[in-house]
Amino acid sequence: MNMGKEIWNLLRKDLMLELRMGYALSGILLYVFSTVFIVFASFIQLPNTVWNILFWVVLLFASVNAIVKSFVQESGNRQLYYYSLVNPVSVLLAKMAYNVGLLFLISLLIWAGLAFVGGNPVRDPELFLLAMFLGSSGFAITFTFVSAISAKADHNSTLLAIMSFPLVIPILMTLVKLSANALGLMNDTGLQKDIILLCAMDGLLLGAALILFPFLWTD
Amino acid sequence: MVYQTWWKALGVVLLVYTFIAGLLIPLKPGISSVHPSNAATGEEVVLEINGYNTLFTRSGEEVRAWLKMDDAYALGASGVEIVDDQHIRARFYIPAFLPDSGRVRDFTLLLDDPFNGACVLPSAVFITQDSIDPAMGKAQWVNAPIKGLHANDGLSFPFRNILKESIRNTYFHVPLWFAMVFLFLFSVGYSVRYLRTGTHDNDRRAHALAVGGVLFGMMGLVTGAIWAKNTWGAYWSWDVKQNMTAIALLIYFAYFILRGSFEDPEKRARLAAVYNLFAFVALIPLIYVIPRLTDSLHPGSGGNPAFGSDDLDNTMRMVFYPAILGWTLLGFWIASVVYRMERLRDRVLEFY
Repeated sequence: MNMGKEIWNLLRKDLMLELRMGYALSGILLYVFSTVFIVFASFIQLPNTVWNILFWVVLLFASVNAIVKSFVQESGNRQLYYYSLVNPVSVLLAKMAYNVGLLFLISLLIWAGLAFVGGNPVRDPELFLLAMFLGSSGFAITFTFVSAISAKADHNSTLLAIMSFPLVIPILMTLVKLSANALGLMNDTGLQKDIILLCAMDGLLLGAALILFPFLWTD
Repeated sequence: MVYQTWWKALGVVLLVYTFIAGLLIPLKPGISSVHPSNAATGEEVVLEINGYNTLFTRSGEEVRAWLKMDDAYALGASGVEIVDDQHIRARFYIPAFLPDSGRVRDFTLLLDDPFNGACVLPSAVFITQDSIDPAMGKAQWVNAPIKGLHANDGLSFPFRNILKESIRNTYFHVPLWFAMVFLFLFSVGYSVRYLRTGTHDNDRRAHALAVGGVLFGMMGLVTGAIWAKNTWGAYWSWDVKQNMTAIALLIYFAYFILRGSFEDPEKRARLAAVYNLFAFVALIPLIYVIPRLTDSLHPGSGGNPAFGSDDLDNTMRMVFYPAILGWTLLGFWIASVVYRMERLRDRVLEFY
């Protein structure tokens, strides 16, 4: 079986598990809406600069909650079965691809939620969507890989947060700058540089994850 | 290497040299303040100048003073009176019109004598003109060209107006940062070796070097914060390099917590090595890319994450480079002690 097909089948398996269980996805949805509600209940008037930062902070915490279960929802024996059946790297890539999609969906929901209660300050939707996609990819790659590490330990949700937050700070800083441009808060001429930087960071992390994963899954 | 003494002794010798030379070599003479710092056109002004590390009484009454507007226009003092070693009075006649179209113009104060050498205070005096006529100013200007400046040949560090004595922190704050990067690099190297060979000893070394690196990172942060308080006015200015160091430290704290959460030494070593490598890859844009794209308060910012060539003179280089080597060797010594301690602990635990 070639790798593309393997990844596709694993992706379908993850999606079906998610839809069949149901509660995980609805839990994330509820998390997003309650956070948005709390934000507006306490702020009432939300300046655009704060909107921009809150968007990414809400996404950051929602991502951790969404991704922490990647490598723990199925039992260790079943994981081992997958690893013997297909290339272990395909398992990681499928999880990452699934999480990129999930995070992109969550970020769309957060955008919709924030826009519904507080108005939509985004002036350049294309740029904002691009930032959301690059951000989702960066978060998904980092969190998926770190969750593979933390799944081996107890208390893994705390461990995931403390191990991955410092790693995504550079991505987060660049994202805030990029979306500030999309909101019209800033007029940066070096926008291309930021986009290339984000792509490079995503690619670098992905490469490192692919090289290191073979050392990770063997027990 | 761990048990050899010569490099530890070399480190100590270099650090003793750093402390003695770095703290005892005096600063070049400079100007610490001028009063008054404002003047108007058409008046005679007497500037009370406070020197720093100066010995004006030994200058042989040959002190000359200028107020310099730019490279073309400078005003010479009509008289200089030496009060004592640190104080002189300089008398200037400011013409009725400046050769400049601004209402207020800053002038650089320049002093020169054979004993102390030349001293400069940028933006020392602000001159206000009521009626603006640059052409008239150019015509009437009595230019005193600045030439024949003396150099101070004594062994000394440069005098910088904001830094002053704190320039000596260059031998502590900056080399600590260099040493931290070296320690982290070696730590990552041993993590790679662990993953390739599976020898437990390599993991112990990687951990010990990370401990040394974090220690140096914290010391670098503290020395930098104190320096920043005295030069930039705040302990923490959200400068790009401060953030970078803080993030690097957070990553290594997470590394220690990860190590602490496993009982099985083999599992702990493997996962810690994987995280160490992954974190290092995430640090690459932080260290090499983002500081080049962002403005920083640090010297050499905007294109160059390290020092500019103007920031060190040859006397400082004589102390700075040995200081880097000395602090790095000390860091490796600390790491080797941590490593030996860990190894003994493992042996004892194995024995019982």
